[in-house]
Amino acid sequence: MIIKGKAWTSREYIMSFDMVVQRFWTSPIDKTENAKFIMAGVDAKYDRENAFKDEGYTFIVAAHNFAGGGKSIEHCVTGLMGAGIQTVFADSFARLQFRNAINYGLPFVTAKNVIDMVETGDELEYNLETCELKNLTNGQSMMTAPVAPFVAEVAKAGGLMDFIRQKIKDGTVGELR
Amino acid sequence: MTITEKIMAYNSGRDKVTPGELVWTDVFSVMTMDYLGKETFKMFDSLGRPEVFDKDRVICVSDHLVPPPTPQFATMLNEWREAVKAHDITYFYDLGRQGIAHQIMVEQGHVLPGKISVGTDSHANTYGAVGAMGNAVAVSDAAVAMATGKSWFRVPEQVKFYVTGTWQPWVMAKDLSLHIMGMMRWNGHLIYKTLEFAGPAIDALDMAGRMTLCNMTVDLGAKNGIIAPDQRTIDFLRPVQKGTWDMIASDPDAHYEAIYEIDVTNLGPTVSRPDKLDDVVPVETVVGTKFNKAFVGTCTNGRLEDIAMVAKILEGKQVHRDVNFLLVPASTQIMKDAIKAGYISTLLDAGVAVDTPSCSACAGIHTGVAGDGDVVLSAGNRNMKGRMGSKNAAIYLTSPAVVAASALKGEIVDPRKF
Repeated sequence: MIIKGKAWTSREYIMSFDMVVQRFWTSPIDKTENAKFIMAGVDAKYDRENAFKDEGYTFIVAAHNFAGGGKSIEHCVTGLMGAGIQTVFADSFARLQFRNAINYGLPFVTAKNVIDMVETGDELEYNLETCELKNLTNGQSMMTAPVAPFVAEVAKAGGLMDFIRQKIKDGTVGELR
Repeated sequence: MTITEKIMAYNSGRDKVTPGELVWTDVFSVMTMDYLGKETFKMFDSLGRPEVFDKDRVICVSDHLVPPPTPQFATMLNEWREAVKAHDITYFYDLGRQGIAHQIMVEQGHVLPGKISVGTDSHANTYGAVGAMGNAVAVSDAAVAMATGKSWFRVPEQVKFYVTGTWQPWVMAKDLSLHIMGMMRWNGHLIYKTLEFAGPAIDALDMAGRMTLCNMTVDLGAKNGIIAPDQRTIDFLRPVQKGTWDMIASDPDAHYEAIYEIDVTNLGPTVSRPDKLDDVVPVETVVGTKFNKAFVGTCTNGRLEDIAMVAKILEGKQVHRDVNFLLVPASTQIMKDAIKAGYISTLLDAGVAVDTPSCSACAGIHTGVAGDGDVVLSAGNRNMKGRMGSKNAAIYLTSPAVVAASALKGEIVDPRKF
């Protein structure tokens, strides 16, 4: 599968509590709703309904510890998905949101120094099978880390909840190891 | 193998595990609390299992929103209580028996050495203090664990901190946490890794200090922290443990990605300056900084030993008239113990406000929040802009000893010279 679209980038620490600001931590999980004020604390210009979504990004490219700072909320991932984000590339990810991303089927892809080859607004193309990332704007390309089979399996099932629902239905939960 | 690899292997029916591998493991206990609990149960209900995997091992705690400060939170709490009741949960620590969930999990023996537990709050890594693997997860993971008694994990890379030397008076485990923060920074070195703490200075730490140290590993960007069980762990758990367990430790030839040695003999009181947790300096650098709010509490530093330190410093003295000092014990048990020990009356005599156990000001959504222009000296765990309320407040993070000594003067002081 090939994903194509525009990238939003940042070299700063993008913290989970800035992606979803305090007043939304207790909101219900809903991709459309959670997307409305996603990134509101990262940049004040996104503290307006659908401001980030309306810029029309497909990819996020970041440096270290993307979505760090430790918040046990899933709104970061559902909000990004609701805003149209289909893949996030970074040097490293904070584990809570890494888990959430896998559980919802949004690829969080490790790509060393990816931030050096992308500027905000660049057109990217990512091949999920070959793991090749191309910057169509400047012609550069790189190989990212592969996505683990388990991650692909969960994504194929439509996320962790559906994955487990199926296992419960089939009576195969006990086989998970 | 390291203690972490052993725990993950034993609980997933494997002989060994390798960092980077994704494994499903058995989960010993699942914690959820007031503000995410209702959503967790809703997710659980959608999975198609009528009952949780074990009613004694799904632990429910009210901590972020009790007592409710707004009608909205009061309504959320009511819905949460209904959800807990509907699932016939054995251990429900609600208002009156409440405490910060992570404190409750350790203090009441719901986490055990060699076992894996998950909780819907980021400081679930506190459980490492007793040699458990404590993992913060979000609501879907918790719902899955409630339904299946299992969770998936990525086997983390592991880093060992070998801590030697002698703890100096007025220096606390929090100072070591902040010191490591300053030493490692948020530059990717510790991200998603397990931090194992060992060595003579860790052996010498009481359980409260071990909890502080493991608690703050998430703030270092790590996956979790862990300390192998010893006699202190056995003695601590014996009266409260909700299950049986075996001793477990890393093998002498276990592999670590890195080993850092720290000598605490030279460690002094340490402060993290506002907005960036890894902007850490020795207290001397910020001596003289004026502040108007002091806060001791949280799952990081709201334990009896922390309160004892504050009481020792404030005994017979008065908090500076320009400082509002709020202290919130981390659990009802701690509140009772602090009253019995006479600490609470010492604090009240000194001009400290003591509130009923909760997460309080730390998460910025409950009592004691910070307003515009406030400068807060806090023994909590996070100091990013807006953490405790207003974005226009500054938060200095430090140990209870520094908070207490400084509160007497209205400016940051070095407790060793006090």
